Amino acid sequence: MNSDTEHDFERDLSLADLLRGIDKQRLESALQALLGTAFAVSDHNGEYLLGAADLAGDAPSLALYGELEPIGQISAAIPQNRLKAAADLIRLLLRANARYLMASDLHLQTQQADFEELQRRHKALEQSEQRYKALAETLEIRVRQQVKTIENTQLKLYETEKLASVGRLAAGIAHEINNPIGFIRSNLSTAAGYLTALNRIDELLQTCADLSSLKAAWQREDMPFIQQDMQDILQESIGGAERIAAIVKDLKGFSRVNDADWEDADLNQLIRQVCNVAAAELRDKAEVYLDLSQLPLLHCHPGELGQVFLSLLMNAVDAMAAPGKIRIRSACRENRIVIDIRDNGRGIPASDMSHIFDPFFTTKDVGKGMGLGLSVARNIVKAHQGDLEIKSQPNVGTLVSISLPLPAGR
Amino acid sequence: MAIFDEESKRLSIKLVYYGPAQSGKTTNLMRLHDILRPDLKGDIMLMETANDRTLFFDLLPLGFKAPSGLLIKFKLYTVPGQVVHDSTRKAVLSRADGVVFVADSQRGQSTNNGESFANLEDNAARVGIDFDRLPLVVQFNKRDLSGILSEEEVLRRWQAAPWPVLFSSALVGDGVVETFNALLKQVYDSLDREFEFQARHDLSRAAFIAQASGQIDRSPP
Repeated sequence: MNSDTEHDFERDLSLADLLRGIDKQRLESALQALLGTAFAVSDHNGEYLLGAADLAGDAPSLALYGELEPIGQISAAIPQNRLKAAADLIRLLLRANARYLMASDLHLQTQQADFEELQRRHKALEQSEQRYKALAETLEIRVRQQVKTIENTQLKLYETEKLASVGRLAAGIAHEINNPIGFIRSNLSTAAGYLTALNRIDELLQTCADLSSLKAAWQREDMPFIQQDMQDILQESIGGAERIAAIVKDLKGFSRVNDADWEDADLNQLIRQVCNVAAAELRDKAEVYLDLSQLPLLHCHPGELGQVFLSLLMNAVDAMAAPGKIRIRSACRENRIVIDIRDNGRGIPASDMSHIFDPFFTTKDVGKGMGLGLSVARNIVKAHQGDLEIKSQPNVGTLVSISLPLPAGR
Repeated sequence: MAIFDEESKRLSIKLVYYGPAQSGKTTNLMRLHDILRPDLKGDIMLMETANDRTLFFDLLPLGFKAPSGLLIKFKLYTVPGQVVHDSTRKAVLSRADGVVFVADSQRGQSTNNGESFANLEDNAARVGIDFDRLPLVVQFNKRDLSGILSEEEVLRRWQAAPWPVLFSSALVGDGVVETFNALLKQVYDSLDREFEFQARHDLSRAAFIAQASGQIDRSPP
């Protein structure tokens, strides 16, 4: 009998099964005493299980029933009614034992099934734990890789944003530079013509010793005018070259945006440079009023702060529905440098206020901005431990306040 | 599945009374024990706790001999209805040849009925019973109580279901035999394919039902 059938609560129970666990000697002596004579109990195969195996074969016998069918018999030389009483008594005993056996077998069966289920789940859990462990180990590496990718992309986007705002100025700056180059070139052509006249007088000087004819030639070539005009055009060209130099110098503040060097800088000068560079962009759109107080030098990244001022100035220009005014004020108070940029443009709708610092949020037309301007500006100000705040009222204007801390003790 | 013992010419058929706690599964078995008069009827074995709740199962063995001499044994089991005894329910349901789902007709019991029926379906799948082919009848019990769903309501709810729906008051014995007979009818059809009752054992469906219920006319022709 294998363990499967042993634990199947539905198996057919034999008489021997049903007598298991019952004290055989006590049952025998009790029956002996009750019946007052020898008796025998055998299973349906004729095997003796209780009582006298050598009982006479012709003794009356009665079937002992299991669930439905006879599973054995009891024999004793006593009247039928007493034999039946004994059979009933044994049947009651067997039934009580059957209940116990079935219940315990079912119990074992369900315990076994529950245990197997538990083991199966345990195994599944272990496997999933293994999977998570492996995942956790690679997760950190993968997160690091992703962060690096995001950082690189962000860096590229911010660079693009910086280039975009500088690029926007390029056309205006080109015009500013082209203008002086134009008249310098024209002046130089004129000067070349004057040199030809001077050469002709030089030829005369080699052949004639007559001062009066030389004087006549001097007058013929209009040399007194040339002298005066040469003075003028050289002066004008020097002025033009200086204008170009100044523009280039201002522009250099922006060409160094990637320069990681921090240095002491005068923010007022930086603001002026920004206004100069943006001059062409401002023309016919807005007038800029500077109200700059004396400021201490700030240890900062001038290229990046210039980027912030330019970005804010461009925003102010873009906010103008009609030619308007932009006022830039600087002040130093409570150990902080405060710079306000105020415009009387169309303002920011209340519904947009909560999004203005979100990267890629923009109300400008496609191609006019990526929506990174304010986001980048605030990041730069934060990198200087400063604050950037914006107050705006639709149709009245916008005020951007930048507050930068000076090192303690100054 | 029914177990056929070639040697002793015996076929054991297992029928299970399933349903929510205290819907009257044990009462069904007790009434059948009182009413049925088959050739062979064993004692009913009840395993209940002090508060009348079935702990492991109840068992009622019945049987009769087919004209061919084949002994057909029925073992009628109940399962414990309480949710916690699911392992036991599963073990008792295992290898069932037919199921009576005993539902409680009381209005507040619809959820319990539904959950228990879903549990029957789940457990049938777990023990490898093809639920679509399992002989099954649904019995709405406790018709003697007030505050019960009307027959029309019950029938409307079970309209789309393929199983016969019967009504009973097991406590007074109404509908108990009818339910058993309705199940026997399906069980006969389901097992006839394999055991060829009519062809090999000269046993018609009507005789199968009548003998199992002990309501056959035994007078000689």
